[in-house]
Amino acid sequence: MNLTPDQVSAIMALLIPGAAACLLPLAAIDKDQATQKWIRAAMFFIALFALMGCFFYVTSLWGKGAQPSFGPVRFDRLAQFATIFILITAALAVLQLWDHLHLEGWVKGETLSLLMFSVTGMILFCSSSNLMVLFLGLELLSIPLYALTGTLRQNHEALEGGVKYFITGAVASSCFLMGAVLLYGMTGTLDAAVMASIMPRLGSDPVMLIGVALLLLGFLFKVSAVPFHQWTPDVYEAAPHPISGFMSVATKGAALFALIRIFPAALLRQEGILQGKVQAALILVAVLSLILGNLTALTQTNVKRMLAYSSISHAGYLILGLVAGTSQAFIGMGFYLVSYLAMNMGAFGLLTALGLAGDRTGYDDLRGMGWKRPELGFAAILCMFSLAGIPPTGGFYGKYMIFRELVAQGHVSLAVLGVLASLVSVAYYLRVVVALFLEKPLGATAGTDKPHRVASLASGTVLVCGLLVMLIGIFPSLLSSAFAQRAVQESLNLLK
Amino acid sequence: MNSALLQGSLQGYILVALLLFVIGLATVLIRRSLLVQFMGIELMLNAANVALLAFARYRGGDVQGTVFYLFIIAVAACEAAVGLALVVALYRHRHTTDSDSADALRR
Repeated sequence: MNLTPDQVSAIMALLIPGAAACLLPLAAIDKDQATQKWIRAAMFFIALFALMGCFFYVTSLWGKGAQPSFGPVRFDRLAQFATIFILITAALAVLQLWDHLHLEGWVKGETLSLLMFSVTGMILFCSSSNLMVLFLGLELLSIPLYALTGTLRQNHEALEGGVKYFITGAVASSCFLMGAVLLYGMTGTLDAAVMASIMPRLGSDPVMLIGVALLLLGFLFKVSAVPFHQWTPDVYEAAPHPISGFMSVATKGAALFALIRIFPAALLRQEGILQGKVQAALILVAVLSLILGNLTALTQTNVKRMLAYSSISHAGYLILGLVAGTSQAFIGMGFYLVSYLAMNMGAFGLLTALGLAGDRTGYDDLRGMGWKRPELGFAAILCMFSLAGIPPTGGFYGKYMIFRELVAQGHVSLAVLGVLASLVSVAYYLRVVVALFLEKPLGATAGTDKPHRVASLASGTVLVCGLLVMLIGIFPSLLSSAFAQRAVQESLNLLK
Repeated sequence: MNSALLQGSLQGYILVALLLFVIGLATVLIRRSLLVQFMGIELMLNAANVALLAFARYRGGDVQGTVFYLFIIAVAACEAAVGLALVVALYRHRHTTDSDSADALRR
């Protein structure tokens, strides 16, 4: 098969991380557990180099706009925006992994290889409206994540989390697949954009309804929205901190960008049976996620479990954007996801940067840490304020854009619920800040506090995240109008 | 008998596929052995395969559907590899594949 340069440029963003993922296991071939330091450095360098190369390639494509499609893979601005989002998350995760894996004493190249495969899957997941490609992307992103959760295989909690994620995730993927197959059977096409034009003619077929419901279930599982959230706290607690951050940010982002791509065409603009029902289901899911996520997060004593429940509640805010369903709301979601990237990678990175490996992730382990590392403490304050939605941080503007569209579309009560939910969330985010600065370290741990390894790379990423949160908060229009708006509007025009 | 099976109507195949899917889902939800739950997942994936091939044949041997089927087989194999590896690694620690005993994370 001969590929034209156009076709190559359409799939290049998939090839670069994919090639790195295949290359990394070669560097990781190793008989004993103690890999030489220069080999370890080389593995991390390969991963970072591939991510940076792909990043610069995609940013250069951004100026040219949509690429000619390669079969069902369409690398337009929405896909480019999503790819940049995923690559930045992955790069931050790789930098934090260097420190985290050294803290755990388990530095293996497979971890990086799996991460790169997952990145490839996410990019594929965001760049097509064909259900077959979506399924392949979904599996390529989730199968490595099952293994990544159990990557520290010497401790059994990690493996337990991996098995739990595998069982629930595989069921969700099977449901997604069954939904895709039923929709294919009813419409005779696998392309969601073409499907949208055929669906109104079929009327109210129950098989259609089952198909759409199963398809949506697959997406909502990846977003970790209630009632498909039970895996989230266990898996985030079991996985290494950087991987938990990567899962919460990039998986959620990939699933939502894919939903933005196929949702308006295939699910929303439907006359008859589907119109009200999909929206009603999404409202229910969003309300449940907001209430349950926020209230359960209040009762947690472990920071990672708290962040897991907070990620469930953030899924609720983001789904409210889908409920509003206007292009302004989708722009708000893109904006919100980027600020979520900065604040959540900062929050998970903080744990690594403070040297809290293993299961030492309670609030008590954070006590007084803010005074020991004031610059990290300050960045953590910014991230926590942003997660809680306090102005002038990025998280505030993201919520503001989504709530404004909700009010404009007449869902005032939902917007009020969202504001109340973020008021509740202030309590548990501030608890981290209080633990960092206002509480004295417990006597026992202060005495035995061994001089821990200075996690310089992870600290760097936390500082970068804090800076990003502030920059997004101070110059919100730059991100929303220059990037998110162009990404959303261009790809929505393609579907019309 | 064979010809009757091959000439079966689309509805019959879809019914069988949905039935297999529900049995698989019930297996995952009800059974407590990780390996049996794992079989349930495979059943769910293959239920989708049955439906897909029935639809593809109904549409006059649609190539899209047939190719999708091959992809699903490959994906199911990958999933099996990773899933079994996780179950085996957990077994080495706990010496059981009972999923009720996997409760260390829920304190």
